[in-house]
Amino acid sequence: MVSPDRIREMYGDMLTARHYEERLQEEYLEGKQPAFDISAGPIPGELHLAAGQEAAAVGVCHHLRPEDTVTAPHRPHHVAIAKGVDLKRMTAEIFGRESGLGKGKGGHMHLFDPDVNFACSGIIAEGCPPAAGAALAAKKRNEDSVAVAFLGEGAIDQGAFLESLNFASVHNLPVVFVIEDNDWAISMPKERVTDVEDGSDRAAGFDMPGVRVDQDDAVAVYEAAAEAIGRARDRNGPTLLEVQVHRRMGHFMGDPQTYRSDDDEEAALARDSIDRIESELRDHGVDDDDLASMRDDAETRVEEAIAWAKEQPQPDPEDAYDDVFVNPPSGVTTEEPEFELAEVNADE
Amino acid sequence: MRVAVRATGDWEADVDETEGILVDWFAREGRSIEEGDTLCEIQVEKVSVDIQAPVAGTLDEIVVGEDDEFEIGDTLGWIRSE
Amino acid sequence: MSETNDVIDRELTMSRAMVESIAHEMRDNEEVFYMGEDVADYGGIFDSTQGLLDEFGRDRIMDVPISETAYLGAAVGAAQEGMRPIAELMFVDFFGVAMDQIYNQLAKNTYMSGGNVNVPLVLTAAVGGTYNDAAQHSQTLYGTFAHVPGLKLVVPSTAYDAKGLMHNAIRDDDPVMYLFHKRLMGIGWMPAPDGPKTPVPETDYTIPFGSADIKREGADVSVVTLGLHVHRALAAAESLAAEGIDVEVIDLRTLVPLDTETIVESVRKTGRLVVVDEDYRSFGVTGEIVASVADRDLGALDAVERVAVPDVPIPYARPMEDEVIPDAADIEESVREVVSSK
Repeated sequence: MVSPDRIREMYGDMLTARHYEERLQEEYLEGKQPAFDISAGPIPGELHLAAGQEAAAVGVCHHLRPEDTVTAPHRPHHVAIAKGVDLKRMTAEIFGRESGLGKGKGGHMHLFDPDVNFACSGIIAEGCPPAAGAALAAKKRNEDSVAVAFLGEGAIDQGAFLESLNFASVHNLPVVFVIEDNDWAISMPKERVTDVEDGSDRAAGFDMPGVRVDQDDAVAVYEAAAEAIGRARDRNGPTLLEVQVHRRMGHFMGDPQTYRSDDDEEAALARDSIDRIESELRDHGVDDDDLASMRDDAETRVEEAIAWAKEQPQPDPEDAYDDVFVNPPSGVTTEEPEFELAEVNADE
Repeated sequence: MRVAVRATGDWEADVDETEGILVDWFAREGRSIEEGDTLCEIQVEKVSVDIQAPVAGTLDEIVVGEDDEFEIGDTLGWIRSE
Repeated sequence: MSETNDVIDRELTMSRAMVESIAHEMRDNEEVFYMGEDVADYGGIFDSTQGLLDEFGRDRIMDVPISETAYLGAAVGAAQEGMRPIAELMFVDFFGVAMDQIYNQLAKNTYMSGGNVNVPLVLTAAVGGTYNDAAQHSQTLYGTFAHVPGLKLVVPSTAYDAKGLMHNAIRDDDPVMYLFHKRLMGIGWMPAPDGPKTPVPETDYTIPFGSADIKREGADVSVVTLGLHVHRALAAAESLAAEGIDVEVIDLRTLVPLDTETIVESVRKTGRLVVVDEDYRSFGVTGEIVASVADRDLGALDAVERVAVPDVPIPYARPMEDEVIPDAADIEESVREVVSSK
C-alpha cells in the first residue's frame, strides 16, 4: 500500500514536470511561428519534451536518495525533476545561460547535476553503461546506493543496452534499467523495428527479472519499482522494468508527426496519467481545493525557475574555451621525477 | 493569359493555422515551366508542402518571396500560359 | 548531346538533388536500396529520402531499428555480396556506436582480402552545426573518416555537385562516405544560405571524385574549404573584393581522393593559402592540406593561415557556438592576415 503522502509527492512532481514541458514548449516556439526555424527564439537547439511520460519517472525516482545515480536519455526533464535536479539551474542550462548546470555548454540533452548524481546523454542507450558503472562503484565500495538508467523503447535494440544488461547481470550489480515505452522511435512504430512486443521480455536472455507496468499509472510504477530498487539495494542484482507511457507531443518540437495517425495521437492524449493519479488522490479524500493548491504550487515553482533562468546572463563567447580539461594541457601540472637508472647491457 | 499559383490543396484539411511561409522557389521569374512541375515549397504548421504548376508557361511573377509569410489561399505567383 | 547546351531553368535544393540521383539509380538498378532510421515515412530527418518511400516501397526504403552496428554492418555484408546499399547515419556524431563496422570492416575488407572483396556501399550522414544542437549532434568529423585508409569521402556544397557526386558514389565500387551538411539541405526549418540551391539538370551526370571545383577565381589568396564553409568563404571573398583583395575559393568536394593538383596550382598563382574547415583544428583537414602543399611545393607558400574549430567540443549556447564555428568574418581576418604578412 502506497501512502497518501507519497502519492501527493509524486503528484506534485508530475504536475511540475507537465507544466514545465508545456511552458518550455511555449517559450521554445516564441520566434518560431509561423515559420518554424530551429535556430530562432529564446531556447536554442532541439527540444525533446516528455509530457505523458511522468509516471515512469516519479514512480521510480521517488524510491531514490540523492546519492543514487540516475542516467536519462535525450528526453530528460521529467526524470531530472523527479530526481530532484536543481530546477532553476537546469532551466538556465536549457536557455543556454551562464548559470546553467553546464554553464550553457551542454544544453537540454546534456544535463549534469552531480549534487543528486544525475546525468543524461543525447546518444540512444548510451546512459546504460555509465549507470552500470555507478552501480559497480557502489558495489566495490560496499555502499548501499543504487543506479537507474532510463531509456526509450527504441533503445532496446541498441548494443549499449544489451551489453549493459549482460555486464550488470554477470557482475550482479545494483542497477535498474527502466524502459519508457512511448510506442514511437521518432517516426518508427515499435512493431516495425523491434522483434518483441514487450521490452521487458529482453530480461529473460540476461537472467534477470523483467517486469512490465502496462499502464502509465504512477502508483503501479511505484510498487513495481519498490521491488526492483529493493532488490538492487539488497545486492540481489539488476532488474529490467518497463513502463507504458504516452508521447503527447512530437519527438522533438517541430516534428510535423505526419507519419502518425490522428487516432494514435488522440489515444495518447486520452490516457492521461495525471488524471489517473488525481482520481487516486480523491479516493484518499483529497478535495478540489487541495488539488488546486498543489497545482498552484507546481506552477509557481516552474514560473519562478523560468523567470530566474531568463534573467541570467548569456555566456561570454570566450567561455567556450574553458572546461575541455580539468587540468588544461597548456600548463605542466606535475614534475617528472628523476631516477638514477642502471645502465642496460645490450649483450644480456 | 496569367494563371495564379495559389497556396491551396488537399493538405488544408490537416492544418489549423491560417498562415504559412514560403520556403523555396524552384524557378525564377521568366523561366519556362511545365504543368505539374514542383514550383515552390511552403511550410504550414511545420509541415512542408510542394506546390505544383497548374499550367505550362513561363513564371511571370513571384508574389510571395522566399522566407515571406502568406495566408492560405493567397496567390504566391503568376504563370503566363501559352 | 544537344541537351547539355540548353539552359537549365529548374533550380533545386541540395536535398532534392540528392534524392533525385538516388531515385534515378534505384530505377536503373534493382540492387540499390536505402537503409536508415526514419528514412521511410519521415523521409529522413534532414529530407535525405523525401518521397522515396512512395515510389520504391518499404523493401527498398527501409526503416531500421536503432542498431547502427547491425544495420551498417548488414550494409557492409550486402555490399560484399554485390548489392549497392546506401545506409544512413542520422547524425555523423552517432558513428561511435558502429565504429568497428566503419573503421575496421568497411574501410579495410578490400585491402585485407588483397582486393578480392569489394564493398560498394554509400554511407550517408548529416554533419555540421550552426543551430545550437551541442557537442553530440553538431560535429562534421571530416578528418576522422578521411584519416583511415579505405574510405572515399564526399562533401557536397551545392545541389548541382550533390547530384553528380551521388551518382558517382552509388556507381563507385569502393566504400564512399557521403557527408551532407544540414544547413545546406534547404530544409524549411533550417534555412540555407544563398548558394546551395542551383540549377540542376534532370538527366543523370557524374562528377568524378578528386576534382576540386574553383567556385570563385582570384589572384591574391587561395581559400581552400568544403561544405558549408564554401558559402562562408564566398561571402568573405565578396566583402574582401571591396577592399581590393581578390580571393580564389576552392571547393574540395571530395577529401578522399584529394585534388592536391588544383590546390597547388592555385597557391603557385597566389602564394597565400587559407584553409577553412568546420572540423576540429588539430590533426585534421587544415593541417593535412597545408602539409600536402608544403610537400609538393614548399617554395610556393609565402603565407599560411588555418581557420577551424579550436580544439573544443561544440558548445550549446549561441554566443559560444558562434565563437568556435568559423564565420565569414573569421575567414576575412585570416585572409587579411596572409595578405599583410607577405
